[in-house]
Amino acid sequence: MAESPVLAQTAPSIRRITPTMLVALVVLFGWLALALAAPVIAPCDPDAIDIMNMLSPPSAAHLFGTDQVGRDVFSRVLFASRIDLLLCVAGVLPPLLIGTTIGLLSGYFRGVVDNVFMRIYDLTVAFPFFVLVLAIVGVLGPGLLNFILALTLVGWVSYARLMRAQVLTIRESEYIQAAKCLGYSPAAILGHHVLPNAIGPVIAYAVSDAVLVMLAGASFGFLGLGAQPPAAEWGVMIADGQAFVQQAWWICLFPGLAAISLGLGFALLGDGLGQIHRRGATA
Amino acid sequence: MSRPETGKPPLLDVKDLTVSFGGFAAVKNVSFTLQPGEILGIVGESGSGKSVTCRAVMRLLTGAARAQGTVALDGQDLLALGEEELCAIRGRDIGMIFQNPASHLNPLRRIGQQVAAPMIRHLGIGKREGLLRAVKLLEDVGIHEPEKRARSYPHEFSGGMKQRAMIAAAIGCQPKLLIADEPTTALDVTVQARILELLKELNRKTGLAMILISHDLGVVADICSRVVVMRNGEVVEQGPIDDVINRPRHAYTRLLIESQPGRKSYGSVGSPDRGKSLLRVENLSVTFPAGQGLLGGNSFRALDGVDLEINTGETVGIVGESGSGKSTLARSIIRLNTPSGGAIRLDGQDVGALAGEALTAFRRRVQMVFQNPYDSLNPRLTIAEAVAEPIWRHGIADRKTAREEADALLEMVELPGSLRDRKPQQLSGGQCQRVGLARALALKPQLLIADEITSALDVTTQAQILELLVRLQRQRSLTLLYISHDLAVVSSLCQRVYVFKAGRIVEQGVAQQVLSTPRDPYTQALVGSLARLPTTQTIPLSQGVATHAT
Repeated sequence: MAESPVLAQTAPSIRRITPTMLVALVVLFGWLALALAAPVIAPCDPDAIDIMNMLSPPSAAHLFGTDQVGRDVFSRVLFASRIDLLLCVAGVLPPLLIGTTIGLLSGYFRGVVDNVFMRIYDLTVAFPFFVLVLAIVGVLGPGLLNFILALTLVGWVSYARLMRAQVLTIRESEYIQAAKCLGYSPAAILGHHVLPNAIGPVIAYAVSDAVLVMLAGASFGFLGLGAQPPAAEWGVMIADGQAFVQQAWWICLFPGLAAISLGLGFALLGDGLGQIHRRGATA
Repeated sequence: MSRPETGKPPLLDVKDLTVSFGGFAAVKNVSFTLQPGEILGIVGESGSGKSVTCRAVMRLLTGAARAQGTVALDGQDLLALGEEELCAIRGRDIGMIFQNPASHLNPLRRIGQQVAAPMIRHLGIGKREGLLRAVKLLEDVGIHEPEKRARSYPHEFSGGMKQRAMIAAAIGCQPKLLIADEPTTALDVTVQARILELLKELNRKTGLAMILISHDLGVVADICSRVVVMRNGEVVEQGPIDDVINRPRHAYTRLLIESQPGRKSYGSVGSPDRGKSLLRVENLSVTFPAGQGLLGGNSFRALDGVDLEINTGETVGIVGESGSGKSTLARSIIRLNTPSGGAIRLDGQDVGALAGEALTAFRRRVQMVFQNPYDSLNPRLTIAEAVAEPIWRHGIADRKTAREEADALLEMVELPGSLRDRKPQQLSGGQCQRVGLARALALKPQLLIADEITSALDVTTQAQILELLVRLQRQRSLTLLYISHDLAVVSSLCQRVYVFKAGRIVEQGVAQQVLSTPRDPYTQALVGSLARLPTTQTIPLSQGVATHAT
């Protein structure tokens, strides 16, 4: 279809950004800028080992101090943001696209396909999220790519369920009945009438899901199943610093704060997008 | 109906009541009095401030509202009372019943407990005594087997029975005043008639004073002795019901009376029996699977062997209460339901067998306007987009030309061009319904199905929409299938009617004839339930309307 209703809907609403949204955007774009500019800003090579200077507290030379092998924590936090931001996008987009499509089709057409997917949903949610991702990564082997693959295999379910629930209520509304009565094709009804009205909560969820993915990335890094050393990743950094937290709190604290601020940014963005979508129908 | 006796101090004296939300005055300088034992009606459209007035009397307004003036109940100013004193008065001295009884009953508690609760609270009686009295009250409001029913939960009650239970709860403490806010709006007409009968009887027996709020002048005229007509937060007229209806002084009251369904005949377009058969419904049955129990639920038959015929250029009405299958029929004709038996034929062609090109051609010939003005329009499209969409999707014109045609269609349904870029939420219900009409007419259909298109609208808006419908029908020589629960509307609009009950046609014939000499007992009950103004001709009833709930 020629039209892109989702974009057409969001474009005019950019003018109505709330203060929380503004904070969220500042945080997120701030991190994006820091990630892009990391090689320029970072005072040291993030992987350069300096045995003479290990576990030194924050100082003018090392803003956030150094870790157990003398690497500059500040530079590592900056470089890690590249991996973590990428992880958020790569961990959210594939399940979002796959889940939304499946939810849209199975909710609208129902029938056998819906039943099959419903059973797959049930099967997937029967296992705790982390356990399942852990199992899949365990089979595929550690590494970022496999981690994202595992996230997609498990994560699409939430999007499909959310989308399906939205579609189930929308398909009963009279404007969908009217669209059928007017002889619109299923593609036109789905793309132009169902999707724009159903997508709001899904987008809002996707943004908060980014937080979950980031935390999962950190946890898996912590367990040694995500980003592999020596690559800087906030989770890995916290995991590494944990043993030294008594003597050198800065190794864990700064990556932790970075993770929290990025998570907060995504969460606020999700809130704001949800609000804007709700108002989209009235403007 | 007891006439107010002069000289007695009024039970309720509302003076210069003004209620404002922020800077907006929803109620302006409203004054009226209510004598003991009197039934006062307050009539007005949605947004006229009638409900706000009564909520102000009960002090049930939200924090943002500011009420000024005096509301004196037996000389005590309610607006000056503290929260504690108020709680003692609410429920004990003033009872209230609402439009939607389902949302005011707690689904997890038994009916008997809920009816007893206000008495236990206000009269200081024990639980056992309260339940005993609740059973007695349920009997008083006409509920069969009250002991058994007191142990039921709200979901086991029908809409009419829930409203009876609400009335029982409201009158338990023998209040001096009962405020009924649209008590019958959510109910079917025959149930409405019984509830009004019950209220009348309560008033006659116990001398309970009532304020009845309604958008329906017919209902008010039926049971009230005096009426207050409100518009835009102001009282435009008040007086004894006969004076107001027979000698309305204010232009708005005249409009309200004029708009009453059945007051005006829209004139038949062409006489029946002329024109050839356009749509035939033959022995149509529709079955829905009901209840997905372990043993496979039994199915529910929504339509059961329905035969019906519509001729070209005719206006055919379908009347029935909720659940009678009339909407199922409409949805079957436009192929939103699959019939389980029988056939629908348009010009002799089986509609169910259509596919591809033939189906597209059918879609252009048969269109439908839906019931809910807001729900029937996509909230994210402007109204011009919504009306233009069928034109370009069917390849009748490119998108730019379609927009121009949409403007012409919007003009045809009397919507000002300044509204074209609005979304449904920024329009009134009547305006949305006009958009729905324009969209249905965009494909220039031959047969238009209108399913309860005015049931969500005020009477004056309803009259305007009906007038528009008749004009469009003339201009475009449409064949019209008009579906409604309101016999008065149908008979003023249609040449022939079919009366539906429980999925079957119980009576059919020329509209005026069915209305004046109904043959089937159900049609007779339906005709008898018409709340009409006293001046319209009354039809002798061959069968009294039962006051007991069924």
